[in-house]
Amino acid sequence: MLVVRPAQPGDLPALERLAGNAMPRLTNLPAHRDRLEERIARSSRSLASQIDYPGDEIYSFVLEDCPGNASSGDIVGTASIRAQAGGSEAYYTYRQETLIHASQQLDVRREVQVLSLSHELSEVTLLCALTLDERYKDTSAHYLLRRARLMFIAQYPERFADTVAVAMPGYLDADNLSPFWESVGRHFFDRSFQEMNAFAGVRSKSFIAEVMPQFPLYLPLLTPEARASIGREHPLHETALADFIAEGFRRSRHVDIFDAGPILKAERAKLHGIAQCGWHPVRIRPEQSLPDAELALVANQRLDGFRCLLARYALTPTGQLMLSPEQAERLDVEEGRAVLVTPLKLLDADEGEL
Amino acid sequence: MRIRPIVHADIEDLLQIARETGVGFTSLPDNREFLEAKLAHTRATFERHSHGAAPSAADEPELYFFVLEDDSPEGANRIAGCCAIEARVGLDTPFYNYRVGRMSHSSVQLGLHRTIDTLFLSSDHTGDAEVCSLYLRPEYRRDRNGVLLSKSRWLFMASFRALFPERVLAEMRGVFDEQHQSPFWECLGRHFFPMDFRDADRLTGLGQKSFIGELMPKFPIYTPFLSEAARACIGQVHEHTRPALAMLKKEGLRWEGYIDIFDGGPTVESYLDDVLAVRDSRTVTIDIAEGLPSEERTSWLAATFKAPDDFRAAWVGRAPTGDILMVTPEEARRLGAVSGEPLRILSA
Repeated sequence: MLVVRPAQPGDLPALERLAGNAMPRLTNLPAHRDRLEERIARSSRSLASQIDYPGDEIYSFVLEDCPGNASSGDIVGTASIRAQAGGSEAYYTYRQETLIHASQQLDVRREVQVLSLSHELSEVTLLCALTLDERYKDTSAHYLLRRARLMFIAQYPERFADTVAVAMPGYLDADNLSPFWESVGRHFFDRSFQEMNAFAGVRSKSFIAEVMPQFPLYLPLLTPEARASIGREHPLHETALADFIAEGFRRSRHVDIFDAGPILKAERAKLHGIAQCGWHPVRIRPEQSLPDAELALVANQRLDGFRCLLARYALTPTGQLMLSPEQAERLDVEEGRAVLVTPLKLLDADEGEL
Repeated sequence: MRIRPIVHADIEDLLQIARETGVGFTSLPDNREFLEAKLAHTRATFERHSHGAAPSAADEPELYFFVLEDDSPEGANRIAGCCAIEARVGLDTPFYNYRVGRMSHSSVQLGLHRTIDTLFLSSDHTGDAEVCSLYLRPEYRRDRNGVLLSKSRWLFMASFRALFPERVLAEMRGVFDEQHQSPFWECLGRHFFPMDFRDADRLTGLGQKSFIGELMPKFPIYTPFLSEAARACIGQVHEHTRPALAMLKKEGLRWEGYIDIFDGGPTVESYLDDVLAVRDSRTVTIDIAEGLPSEERTSWLAATFKAPDDFRAAWVGRAPTGDILMVTPEEARRLGAVSGEPLRILSA
């Protein structure tokens, strides 16, 4: 059975392995033991703290695949939430802007595209650092891991911002080079994209952001390859991007400052996972007597004991959610306790606006 | 050969010169209407100060335009070239430059320290004097006529110092390739101006510069984003401009990091009082005598300066003796000077 739960110190080796296998490597998930250990400790602290408004917290979760009745299993995925994208620093993005250069004298009007360094997204909540064992890609496990975070956010609104964002890994070419980095960042910090990314993960992204160009960049002066990368996701993340769009995210004007990957944004309350979820009391039934129904994410009401798993969205006539004893045990809920439920499949999978 | 203020009757010669100068010579466009206006402007300037060097109103754009006249018998007062001084640039239309600045990008944590050349749009020179519009017809490129044209302006400014501000500059023509293209323009200006260099340059020459402010990128330009060819143009001059640049450098003008926004050519500048020719020129009294010997290679410039409009400058055949400069009657005529009159002279 697949369960999403907060990361614990014992998950460290698994996290290290997942971080090392991420394609492409994620800045927010460095394959670095000390940093990951800190990450887990920070997540535990965040969960243990009394929080009235979002700040420097990070919440890290793992996806555990427990075979049969075993109480634990393999850690096959991880995902995090930054309560505020910038935390105690600033979150740097490039904002795509259009300037009108018009001349009455010449009777011409030109639109000039620029990228302006922005801290505007510093205080939004950021979904980040998701990576999953290759075998589970694009299965329901993937949805579970990605969307379980919304089930957490839905329960603790005071811990998060009203706006939620997600930064998709940016486009890399066949040689694993970022055309945007080669044309822009490299002039200012002469390291390969991979080196820079590793550094940013281990140290801090804002160290590097601070040496990046502070004035707006005129797009016409960038290479065509760099321009084509702006707002373009990594080829391995096309499906993930489509899923986020289906969730209710929209492409924003912002892109990552290093690889120009798209940053998606949404009002928290309008995300389907949050808007469509509801509370149901639990009714425990033998597994073989559970009726067939669409899959749903089911989360308990605990903070540090947060659990989220997949179950059939089968309700009794009085609106109780029917769970097997095993599911109830995994969620650590007894009969009558309320759980939060949202359909797994997104009903309204419309296309995102560009 | 002598330098004198231009007069209305010189218009046809000026037009001819404008035709000869070609692209890149921004201040002399081949346009009669424009040149007539320019002539009217410079005549008004000279006449405003015709009763001596009354201090100028600091907010008036003033133009002192001179011609080099061939006063030899066979020359028939032909115009051999021209030069000009704009007393204060940027007062009526904006005067734009890029300043090549340095931005430090440094981080202890990253072990990084580098400086990035960055182009900042500037109007820093607003109110400064500019020496400009120097042109010498090919057939007159001999007998140190170029030096006469160039240095006469320093004599003028030294003579009427109160008419000019503290600083002076000269814009030098930038680099063009074999196809007469400016790599700097092709890489930068072309993206923002829907025209080719020639048209942009022509409009600028006509004083119609508002389009620059309207279409130019306002934010600084990081030079690493420019092509190598464009970067190589920054602060570099057209090969034909090298002698002119060398001459200005000898006077003490220096490149302080300002370049032309279109072709990347350097703007050289100095405090006017520090210009060698201004500092080293001095006044003497003229004495006229027949049959004086002349140096083989002329090395003394002299100018009369009763009033700006009476300004005449020419080579004279010999060095002064103390505070007296002996000149021949022909030289005196050329300078429009009578015995006992003060002259400003310069060894050049």
